[in-house]
Amino acid sequence: MTKRKSNYIGPKIINTLLPIGLAFFIGGIIILCIGENPLEAYQIMLGKSLFTVKGFLNTLHYASPLLLTGLAIAITFKANIFNMGVEGQLLLGGFFAGITGASLNLSNSVAEKLICMLVGMTCGVLFALIPAILRAYFHVDEMVVTLMLNYAMIKVLEYLSSGPFREAGSGYVCTPVIHESAMFQRLGIENSRLTMFFFLAFAVLIVMTFVMTKTKLGMEITAIGKNPDFAEATGMRVRRKIIILMCISGGLAGIAGAGHMMSEKFKYTLGFSGTTGLGWDGMLIALLGRHNPIGILLAAIFYSALKTGADNINMYTSVPKEIVEVLQGLIILFLAVQFLDEHFGLKERIMKLKNREEVA
Amino acid sequence: MDFIGGILYDCLYHAVPILLCVLGGIFAYKANVLNIALEGMMLAGAFVSVLVSFQTGSIVLGYLSAILICMVIGLIFAFFGVTCKGNVIVIGLAINMSITAIAGFVLQLMNSANIKLDFTNAADFKIDLPFIKNIPLIGDILSGHTVITYISFLAVIVIWFLMYRTKFGVYVRVVGENEDSAKSLGLNTNKYRYLAILLGAFFCSLAGINLALERMTIFTNNMTAGRGFIAIAAIYCGRGDPLSCSIYAIVFGLARALSVNLSLYAGAAAAVFDVIPYVVMSVVLTVVSMVKYRNRKVRGI
Repeated sequence: MTKRKSNYIGPKIINTLLPIGLAFFIGGIIILCIGENPLEAYQIMLGKSLFTVKGFLNTLHYASPLLLTGLAIAITFKANIFNMGVEGQLLLGGFFAGITGASLNLSNSVAEKLICMLVGMTCGVLFALIPAILRAYFHVDEMVVTLMLNYAMIKVLEYLSSGPFREAGSGYVCTPVIHESAMFQRLGIENSRLTMFFFLAFAVLIVMTFVMTKTKLGMEITAIGKNPDFAEATGMRVRRKIIILMCISGGLAGIAGAGHMMSEKFKYTLGFSGTTGLGWDGMLIALLGRHNPIGILLAAIFYSALKTGADNINMYTSVPKEIVEVLQGLIILFLAVQFLDEHFGLKERIMKLKNREEVA
Repeated sequence: MDFIGGILYDCLYHAVPILLCVLGGIFAYKANVLNIALEGMMLAGAFVSVLVSFQTGSIVLGYLSAILICMVIGLIFAFFGVTCKGNVIVIGLAINMSITAIAGFVLQLMNSANIKLDFTNAADFKIDLPFIKNIPLIGDILSGHTVITYISFLAVIVIWFLMYRTKFGVYVRVVGENEDSAKSLGLNTNKYRYLAILLGAFFCSLAGINLALERMTIFTNNMTAGRGFIAIAAIYCGRGDPLSCSIYAIVFGLARALSVNLSLYAGAAAAVFDVIPYVVMSVVLTVVSMVKYRNRKVRGI
């Protein structure tokens, strides 16, 4: 069994690395077209954010919400459910965590952080509950609903942050800054931005890995993903599992939003989750990480390095930092296709070819 | 009376991009390739049409290049999804993200937040219908739309004909319903999938042109604002039937027109009215699904 597993890894790694290579190749052509040196651009992009200590710690810091959103999407993909509302859930979680952090001022900072996190998580869960119930009881396609509700949520938050919850003194649309007791302080290693939130996200990753691989719930979810009718026939309560799963996914997204608020942004602005949005980045990470915890960790770090590197690229070259989003789209595009069949190892494949040649 | 006329005019006005996307998505839906990339293709149509018109000063060139580029994107989608058998949902989302990113990239290179055409304005594209214009109310509603608006309503009939009265339509439906039996008939299933997707790309490019070039002569990034996804919801509601899907598209147009017209009176809470179309569509989708499954007694999904 172990031997067969090791055979599988070869094509898996190729299938993961090849899309990245292809995307960088096409990205390189685009950079060439605007008259810049692609190699130099890539070196600036990845060199600082991966190969210096401070840069790497910053990369880890920015990877923390990505870890959670990647996880949120990966677990739903596993059950063949598409929770595309991670972005909306993250925004809602972040927004209300921010409001809580700004209005509540407890002397105990641990309790305050905990409350903010819980508020964020609850918001994420509640928002995910709508498509979950529609899917489980009314057979409404959850993908379409979540995709549309994202836009609705962005509009609602736009209203809330520019209307009732707007910080009166500020020149642009934002909510009040959260109290210091609700902020994750920088740990100050190498002067980097790393906070406790990264370790929290990492802990959540480990817990979820345990849940997904070692508990009954995790196994049932995998079974539902493979064949929902069979799962139902064997007596699993598919509807309830779908709701639970969507709630977990929404909760993770909510925590990601709350953490992003408390460790990085400190107030809700209209560009809270960046240009592609942390929720959408999560999709890349889930796909790149092949729905596997170690994969998700590596993918989150890799993508976060790209994103932090994008700021450097903007500073030192004339390449717009939007190139990173182009790369992201291309990577996802190529990831959707399996270049090599993963059900056969490389060795078996070569053997097969050899046999065929001998027959011929 | 003017108020109602205004709402109904806006209803047609806002329904058009969705309607075109719906018409584009129907064949792909029937061929069992869910085309999530409608949104991205529409954005590409909007972007390319305005960009090319801006650079060359020729509107016709803008139209043609938008259609061409959308067809290329359709080909890419079809190649990855049909030939390489990738996950179409993931490919569709990837295309949506790539188009937004490329548009953002180009806008950044041009150093501006939007592209605005200065040699023409939206009024140039409006056509007054000769006789209908003079009829009160109806004239106000039906006259003064753009070329693509009229084309889109004619296209509903064309698509219906294509789907139910031609060989092509039957074959596409067979491919979607049962690929094996289609193959046993000797059909080249991939060919029909490609054609269905390309037809979708064509209509999406029209939707994009209508949205950006014809209506406002301006392009801002992400101006499609989820219309492609709403079109998919409409397709789900109508289960791929051109006429009923079109009606859902117009329902969305009405929701949008209401949200725009009512928000004029709402003052500070105007932004909340933008939510109406998305909520209406979700509710409609729920009701349709409830009706569809009401008589099913089988346990399970």
